[in-house]
Amino acid sequence: MTGLKVELLTDMGAYLGLVTPGIPILGAFMFNAIYKFPAYRFVCTNVFTNKNWTDAYRGAGRPEATFAIERLMDELAAEVGVDPMEIRERNWIKHDEFPFSTVAGLEYDSGNYEAATAKAKELFGYDALRAEQKQRREAGDTVQLGIGISTFTEMCGLAPSRVLGALSYGAGGWEHASIRMLPSGKVEVITGSSAHGQGHETAWSQIVADRLGVSFDDIEVLHGDTQISPRGLDTYGSRSLTVGGMAVIAAADKVIEKAKPIAAHLLEANSDDLEFSAGKFNVKGTNSSVGLTDLALAVFAAHNLPDGAEPSLDAEATFDPDNFSFPHGTHLCAVEVDTETGEAKIRNYTCVDDIGKVVNPLIVEGQVHGGLVQGIAQALFEEAVYDDSGTLVTGSFVDYLVPSAADLPNFTTDRTESPSTTNVLGVKGVGEAGTIASTPAVVNAVVDAVRHLGINDIEMPCSPHRIWTALQTASSGADTPRTKTMVDDDVNPSHNAQVSGTDAGDGSAAAQGSNGQGGLA
Amino acid sequence: MIPAAFDYTAPESVADAITALGSDSEEIKVLAGGQSLIPVLRLRLAAPTLLVDIGRIRELGGITDEGNTLVIGAMTTHAEMADSELVKEHASLLAKAVETVADPQVRHRGTLGGALVHADPAGDLLAPILALDAELVVAGADGERTVAAADFFEDMFTTTVGENEILTRIRIPKHTGWGSHYEKFTRVAQQWSIIAVGVTLKVDGGVISQAKVGLTNMSSTPIRASAVEQALVGQAPTADTASRAAAVAAEGTNPPTDTNGDANYRRHLAKVLTGRAVQAAVSG
Repeated sequence: MTGLKVELLTDMGAYLGLVTPGIPILGAFMFNAIYKFPAYRFVCTNVFTNKNWTDAYRGAGRPEATFAIERLMDELAAEVGVDPMEIRERNWIKHDEFPFSTVAGLEYDSGNYEAATAKAKELFGYDALRAEQKQRREAGDTVQLGIGISTFTEMCGLAPSRVLGALSYGAGGWEHASIRMLPSGKVEVITGSSAHGQGHETAWSQIVADRLGVSFDDIEVLHGDTQISPRGLDTYGSRSLTVGGMAVIAAADKVIEKAKPIAAHLLEANSDDLEFSAGKFNVKGTNSSVGLTDLALAVFAAHNLPDGAEPSLDAEATFDPDNFSFPHGTHLCAVEVDTETGEAKIRNYTCVDDIGKVVNPLIVEGQVHGGLVQGIAQALFEEAVYDDSGTLVTGSFVDYLVPSAADLPNFTTDRTESPSTTNVLGVKGVGEAGTIASTPAVVNAVVDAVRHLGINDIEMPCSPHRIWTALQTASSGADTPRTKTMVDDDVNPSHNAQVSGTDAGDGSAAAQGSNGQGGLA
Repeated sequence: MIPAAFDYTAPESVADAITALGSDSEEIKVLAGGQSLIPVLRLRLAAPTLLVDIGRIRELGGITDEGNTLVIGAMTTHAEMADSELVKEHASLLAKAVETVADPQVRHRGTLGGALVHADPAGDLLAPILALDAELVVAGADGERTVAAADFFEDMFTTTVGENEILTRIRIPKHTGWGSHYEKFTRVAQQWSIIAVGVTLKVDGGVISQAKVGLTNMSSTPIRASAVEQALVGQAPTADTASRAAAVAAEGTNPPTDTNGDANYRRHLAKVLTGRAVQAAVSG
């Protein structure tokens, strides 16, 4: 592959929301994905329409980019006649090439596409399913099998504040945390990364328990009320652990730092002779030690503190990341298409995500499952349909189809682990991985199921009616439309009420090779 | 999502219910389970001034065996029908259709009478009732009248039940020993039928002796696929028979177009689903 040119026409809806025009810009850095493109050009035209206004939706910009490139990789494979996995393998960044500066100007810190893909193929039974597909095609079965691939990556852990500034975002990307050591021995952790179901209470408690050597059960995580947690930028962009979690660690380290001279004073030792582990300061080479929770009570009583020491072990910290986080994964989907009704049913869905080190596997599993459902729903079910006058006709859940567990298979999920090199825990974000990866995996599978019948694209959501219509058109011998060009030359922005200019095309996105993050703007 | 204010009465006899329907309240609606009416009220698509809740009328419940006829009280819930050995044995098509309705919560509140009088063309119980040649007993101030299912449904959301009447019971001729199948097509599990096909048939001596086929959401009312029935009767229950019958499934239909598919697609689905339903009915 020698180059990638993206011309993106984006429907903003009638008004701008918080980050509406920023969404395609996030995508601008991701169209090149895991592949080594020598050249890249990105031109984006955002248009106002009389439809509902839009804003960030789980993945924001990265799902759109990932969908485009992963669909294109399948079409390229078909065009040149190789297996779609092989075309990816030939063109992706090799494990020994990390860290890798991309054509879009990002620096991917770590990754191992080979390992995730090998594991996913094995769990999925890739070769056996390809064999079954071949056999069904030859037999002319009414139910055809399709295999969809999505070897995604994304940029998350939003975000280095200076990068956001360069992109004209209104706010920075830091996150805040504070820790209060109570005289009772309990620990209060206050986070600005407010959870609304993501399980920060559990994960932050795990982190602080490990860092401070206190009992998990003695930690309380507080958030969500600005009287308690006045500073913070919140939970979005798969940032909580990689940014908010790092602020928690920094605050914990400050607690230890603050406690050390007091511990030395109480132990009548030199600070330099103390080591901290398992919740205790120990004088090296002796049995003399004092626990952090005992120190908290002693500090509160303040009867015997070193001169000048304030009677508090509380600490706060703000963390601003140096780089984004680049999780990746290989998602494989097997879809059965009933050629008589057009119905597409997912038979298997296997994903191997690499999100670096994991703090809480159960929470990660939940994030992946929820994300998969959301992305699959976009591929097969959910659609905001407008009539010709711009009226929403899918305005209730009678018409706007949200799948339930009854409509989906059991997912096979697993992980590989390429620790991030840009944070002390080696973690990456996972909140949006499922939604970013799954949509193209499913649509690729649907198209793959019927490609031999002369079909190379089906618009999302791949409803039974759309699939059946594509089959009818193909069997009638009419030309099926090639993958649509992304910009219709006839669209003249002056015909629209207003155009929001977010053309990054002449910026770094079109740069010759990589120029590091400094060149993002 | 809060209904407009309304008066509420819960009579305990059919006579009292009919009296309530005759009151001078401006707009009166009968509440018969509420699985359709309550959402309509909450969305304020309707704003009746009086709700007559017939859920406490004991004489409207129960499933009884009356010789050649199965009698189902109008306020019998979907769950009661699904669990009924009488329904499974003598009207298996209805038993199979009722299992596909919504979810357990809805099936425990929704009623057969409510579904029939609501007359949503995508409702799953209408076509089976039509196919089973049921008779519907309607009570009014002047007493009872019996209406054939074929005459009961007049249009979308419209039946022959008058303003001061209530449907009291459904009389279904026993179809003991008939095979049946209800083939429903939806995109997600909890969705109204895009279309559905209900088939019940009797095989005697290697030949289909009788066949009844009802279509859901293929017109503004449930309809019988008469051409399919004719194509089946007298034929051997083979795949070939099924496909020849399926080919005429769309005759006389007038299906809607919506976001799930256009009329042409629904006609096509009717054929595919009819073929499948016939094959399944033959084997059970």
